[in-house]
Amino acid sequence: MLLEEVLTFLKTVPPFQFLDDAGLKSVAGSLSMEFYPKDTVILRQNGPASNALRIIKKGGVKISIESGNGEDVVIDYRGEGETFGLVSIMSKEKQKTTIVAIDDTICYMIDKGNVHKLIDSYPVLTEYFLQSHFTKYMAKTYGEMRDKSLFYGSSDHILFTTQVGEIAAKEVITANDETPVQEAAQLMSKERISSLVIIDDSGFPVGIVTDRDLREKVVSKGRDVLEPVRNIMSLPLIRVDARDYCFEAVLKMLKYNIHHVLVIKDGALKGVITNHDLMMLQGRTPLSFAKDIENQQAIDGLIPVSRKINKIIGFLLKEGAKAGNITKIITELNDRLVRKVLEIAERKFGRPPVPYCWIALGSEGRKEQTFRTDQDNAIIYADTDYAELENSAKKYFSAFAGFVKESLLKCGFPPCPADYMASNPPWCQPLKVWKKYFSVWISTPTPDAVLNSLIFFDFRPLYGETGLAEELRDSLNSMLEGEKVFLGYLANMITKNTPPIGFFKSFVVEKSGEHKNELNLKIKGITPIVDILRLFALERGVRETSTLERIEALKDKHTIVKEYADELEHAFEFITLLRIHNQVEQIEAGREIDNFINPNNLSNLEKKTIKEAFHLISRIQDFIIERYKMLIW
Amino acid sequence: MLSSLIFNKKSRATGIDGSMPAKDARYVVIDTELTGLNEKKDSIVSIGAVRMAGGKIDLGDVFYRLINPYTEFRAESVVIHGITPSDVGEKPDIATILSEFLEFCGPDILIGHCISIDLCFINKEMKKIPGSSLKNAVLDTYSLYEWLRKRMTFHKAFSAPLKDCSLYGIAKGFGIPANGAHNAVVDAFITAQVFQRFIPILLEAGVRSIGELLRVGNPSRGGDRLRSAGESISL
Repeated sequence: MLLEEVLTFLKTVPPFQFLDDAGLKSVAGSLSMEFYPKDTVILRQNGPASNALRIIKKGGVKISIESGNGEDVVIDYRGEGETFGLVSIMSKEKQKTTIVAIDDTICYMIDKGNVHKLIDSYPVLTEYFLQSHFTKYMAKTYGEMRDKSLFYGSSDHILFTTQVGEIAAKEVITANDETPVQEAAQLMSKERISSLVIIDDSGFPVGIVTDRDLREKVVSKGRDVLEPVRNIMSLPLIRVDARDYCFEAVLKMLKYNIHHVLVIKDGALKGVITNHDLMMLQGRTPLSFAKDIENQQAIDGLIPVSRKINKIIGFLLKEGAKAGNITKIITELNDRLVRKVLEIAERKFGRPPVPYCWIALGSEGRKEQTFRTDQDNAIIYADTDYAELENSAKKYFSAFAGFVKESLLKCGFPPCPADYMASNPPWCQPLKVWKKYFSVWISTPTPDAVLNSLIFFDFRPLYGETGLAEELRDSLNSMLEGEKVFLGYLANMITKNTPPIGFFKSFVVEKSGEHKNELNLKIKGITPIVDILRLFALERGVRETSTLERIEALKDKHTIVKEYADELEHAFEFITLLRIHNQVEQIEAGREIDNFINPNNLSNLEKKTIKEAFHLISRIQDFIIERYKMLIW
Repeated sequence: MLSSLIFNKKSRATGIDGSMPAKDARYVVIDTELTGLNEKKDSIVSIGAVRMAGGKIDLGDVFYRLINPYTEFRAESVVIHGITPSDVGEKPDIATILSEFLEFCGPDILIGHCISIDLCFINKEMKKIPGSSLKNAVLDTYSLYEWLRKRMTFHKAFSAPLKDCSLYGIAKGFGIPANGAHNAVVDAFITAQVFQRFIPILLEAGVRSIGELLRVGNPSRGGDRLRSAGESISL
């Protein structure tokens, strides 16, 4: 009677939907139902491991993890029909993540014993759970990995794309099973290996001896070191096929609680894969690419590295960490690449006649790039009183900037269609001209001037004499002090871009054209928040340029931000992440990337969150209208 | 004062540790369908019960029996619960079922919506069976609802004006789907979900232990009279 409703629900939930009726019934009969009011901490990191698999019937949860430096990093959201808690059941260790109900949430629970039973009797469940959960938060290597890599989780993906054979130690050191323990240990020391494969007289592998065996079975037991190694070797031999993906090896290590797995190719021993190898593989993180960039001496050398970065970015995005972390890494890598190009340019053109600063503008200035974006940059060079020096500076930087533009293009950064680039003479100027530009834009806010200020006021020094950029920022801040009219123009523009509040009721979306019935996430979601925070930052003379950093800096300086900091941050992170995910999907489908999403493809939880974000934007726009009402028309 | 005396007596009788956190206790949430509400003339048609432990509703541990009543079915109640004489004709009699029911309940705390009515009919039957009686501690979700409504006026679940304090009315207020026909086990399940929603609100209101819970959820606190007003059965 009660189970009918559960059965109907389970039939819509992967992987249970793949079960036959008998299987479904046995699952349904083992369920219990729990209710968590909004904000309940369901599982706590480092708390007791979960004792049940939970299926979300209603509501949703946020999964986060405290990073090494105490920061809470959201790693996932789960909504209706999704599950959580499996890894924790399997690992028997402490809970690795914190799971909080973000809404009143009802879960069906399958207790640990029943989960094991189900997994044993239905291979389809095993397969599904292994792929979706295990590998995502690999219980064991997780902590180590998190501390080691710049962007934990980024490397998980590599585990799916790298075959065991590619990274396993090629040359296998073996010893006969009659070899005395001491001799085996000496061999291991000599070869600097942590495991030794034991073979019988016919060369067939029969066991493995690891550092752990020597420790646990010999030293601590006081065993005679002249006994044959056969007596201490570990059985059974766990093996993977060389063609298996690395995550299979990780699973086996987890399952059998071992660190070494034999790699078999065409029936013969091909090598050994250790958890260290897997850690090294995971070391192929952005950091190693950063080193790769540093090592290049010519533009031609940068091109392949740059292409590789593009690829690793794909992996990074796919694993879905916080959007803020993703853009941070992309920015960091792009910055390094641009700096390298500038270093090479300096070598080519010789020392600049006057000091200069290379500044990044727009989204690059805000450190909010997702996929490789257009070049947005400019040069500020030092003022000089000597006309001759001024002339040679102009000449030098013109050629210099032209070379940089072409080089960046080779590395995959298309030129800016609006020509906001240092190679464009107006944007390659001495400091005093820049100050003049800014003061003119502020005192006569024509539409062009306002548009320019949106791009240029997010400037950030990227290379060279950063003092020049700092001085320009100082003078911008003092120009804006008490300057209401210009800020009023900005406020006006911001409040004209109203969010589509009725979006999920009546779909205020594109009404015609190619993107009919779609929503432009950038214009309707990201731009309004960026613009709001830029306005507030300019109001208060805050120097930060990234939206998230501006929120942080304005927390104790601006009453509205103080009140809404968390909501703003959450909204911005969420929409950015949605946009990135959308773009990854587009790339994978071989389509052009754009900023449009079809709201029908969003989950209920996503719809709800984006709706809340729009309400937030709308509320803050109302505050802005109130504040600048004299200047708003 | 008086109520605490009542509780003390009860706790001795049922052997429940009153200081245990309310959430951790084991409960059996029950509902009965009747031929009518006249204690003298009517009798039980079906009993449904679901178990709750540690705040979880156990969907695999469910009790549901149809009973062959000795009183006549009345047309107006048949309409409500949808159980016709032919459905129960072949079913075991009440004595067999009650002993199964007692076994299912064990020492757990019984919960029901306006549970006095259910208990009244169950106890009436029990009297006929020598040696059997229901000694369990009892909670009424209706009493809990009234109690919470008075104290937690700011809470979103209680801020709306009270329109319908029937089980289905309250369930709807919490977004619990309640659209099936009156069926003892489905209604018990709905009652269990309502109680599940109450637990965190009760905590907020300071009700932590079983002792306190039994005090505020005492069936005599709520109005039995309201069962007829609240539910669609009227006599």
